[in-house]
Formats: sequence, C-alpha cells, structure tokens
Amino acid sequence: MGEVKAKKTSDIKNTPDDEIPGVITTTTSAIHNFLKKSKAQDVINWGRKNSLWFMTQPMGCCGVEMIATGCAHYDTDRFGIIPRNSPRHADVMIISGYVTKKYLPALKRLWEQMPAPKWVLCMGDCSISGGPFYESYSTVQNIDEMFPIDVFIPGCPPRPEALIQGFVELQEKIKAKKDLGTEY
Amino acid sequence: MDARTIIESLSSEFPEAISESEVESEIRVRAYVAAEKAKETCQYLKDSLQFDHLCSVCGVDYPKRGEIEVVYHIASYEHPVVLMLKAKLPRDSPEIESVVPVYWNANWYERETYELYGLMFKNHPDLRPLVLPEEMLGEWPLRKDYEGFPNKTARNLV
Ligand code: SF4
Repeated sequence: MGEVKAKKTSDIKNTPDDEIPGVITTTTSAIHNFLKKSKAQDVINWGRKNSLWFMTQPMGCCGVEMIATGCAHYDTDRFGIIPRNSPRHADVMIISGYVTKKYLPALKRLWEQMPAPKWVLCMGDCSISGGPFYESYSTVQNIDEMFPIDVFIPGCPPRPEALIQGFVELQEKIKAKKDLGTEY
Repeated sequence: MDARTIIESLSSEFPEAISESEVESEIRVRAYVAAEKAKETCQYLKDSLQFDHLCSVCGVDYPKRGEIEVVYHIASYEHPVVLMLKAKLPRDSPEIESVVPVYWNANWYERETYELYGLMFKNHPDLRPLVLPEEMLGEWPLRKDYEGFPNKTARNLV
C-alpha cells in the first residue's frame, strides 16, 4: 500500500502547475476568494442558510429540548433544519448544556470533525455563562473563547421555539454575511 | 431478624472492631467499624445476615478532626433494615481495603469516592477516575479545603 501511495504523490509532483504554457492556473482557495467578493456568494449563502443540518449531541437538560425541536411536532424541516447523527453530516453544532472539563476535549474533537462551512449555537444559560453550575469545580467557563459562537439562546432551558428563533437569527446572519463560520 | 438482633449479632462476632453501634429506628441501624476489619465485616454481613445489597459508598471530610470517614449503606432483601457502616481514616493518608470482592457493585462507587476525596481503596481491581478528567486527579474536589472553584462567571457578553 505504502509504495502505491508514494508513486501517486510523485506523479503529481511530475506535472508542475505553473509550467503549462498559455494557461493561468489557480487554486481552490483563490476561486473561493474570488466568489466571496462576487454576487455568486449571495446565491451560495441562500443555499447554505436553507440547509442548516444540526448535530444531535445533547449535553445537558437543554439537550432534551433540542431533541424535541428535531421531532415532527415543530417541523423544522420547513427551514431546512434537520437533525443528523454524525458530525460529518452536520453544519451546525449546538452546545446544549454544561461543558465539563472531561467533555471539552470530546466537544473540540466533534467540532474538528465537522466539515466547513460550520456554525455553533450556544443554547441555554449553562453554555453561555455556566448557568446554575458557574461555580463548580468541573465546568468550563467562557466557551465563546474556544468556539466562534454565532447565536446565544438564553433560557433554562430555552423552549424549542426559542431554538428555532436562534436558527432563524443564524439564517439572517448568513444572509447578511455577518456569520463567524465563513471569512468574507 | 429485626434491627436489634442484627446489631447484637454484629457486635458479638466482632467485639473489638464494632463500636458506637446504635439502633436509630426499626429500619435504620448504624455502627462504626475499625478500618482494617471493614472487609471482613461486609463478608460476614453478606454471608450470615443476608445483607446482600450495597446501596452506596461515600466519604465525609472532617478537617478539624483530621479524619475522613468512609460510609457504606448496606441493605437487605430479607429484612427491612438499612445498615450504615462507617470507618474513620486519618486525613493525610486515608486507606481502606476495597470491598469489591464482597460486593461487586462497589467498583464504581469506590472509584468515584477515590477521585473526589482521595480515599485509597487497597486491592481495588481498577482504581482510576470515573467521572473527573485524569488531570484533576490529586485535587480531591469534595474535600472541604478544596479551593479550585472558579470565582467568576463568564464575562459580560453585551
Ligand atoms: S441551561 Fe438549564 S436546562 Fe440547560 S443544561 Fe443548563 S441547567 Fe439544564
């Protein structure tokens, strides 16, 4: 296996990008940067804001409200908000409860596993400020220094309507190109 | 068997180890046990007195007395009595024999008591932290002189 891999990479090296005569080569990030400044980004953002799939990863009692939001009664599909089981399918991570010192590494790992573009919502007083557990020996303070949080949803726990409103606010931010998930 | 006969049976079996035994009510009895005899007492309770359900293992910190007490709540399916068995340990090196060979469910109770109070359970099969992260080991957060609490909440977001 190792040999085959080595061969492939050497093949790529044999065709240098900048030596094709008459052709201007580019990179994906250059294309992205070009698109971000053009009108096409509005269309892309329209698509992104209408497919905010979130990761089902309940962390505290707020997680129960998050699950309830994903159920049929609230019909979040009409906003394109669909619960997913895997971080690799998800666009939005909801920090739904207290972050303990033991859980923080796992949370960071889930965040790294999510493909960009991705967004974080802070749901509930616990994730915003520690909530009832702000003086505990086992909780982490100031989550907003570790994740680029777009929307804070206060409440203990916030009702599903509040969570849906948080999603709508996130959609507004994406539409206005003010979200932290993408660099404009 | 009622509460009084249980206490009498215990005290006659271990006259040196059992002290300050008391019948609180029909359904509650309590006793102190010498730390080195705790495991044998549990074995006797399980084999001879049908105390086959260990409800909890926990610790209590008494910094002024320089002691940590380990508390076992043991109940029985045969007779309606809950026994509270306590052992006093020195605070600077609290060590007691693990009761996992007697009550297998003590495993996680002892792990949690260990990580929160620093109580060493000798001959425990797998004594490592249960719910706290590894790096908090040695802080013993439920001891009364613990000072690692954060003294501020998140900064003002507005
Ligand atoms: S904010 Fe309230 S409901 Fe939400 S996780 Fe914290 S304690 Fe539970």
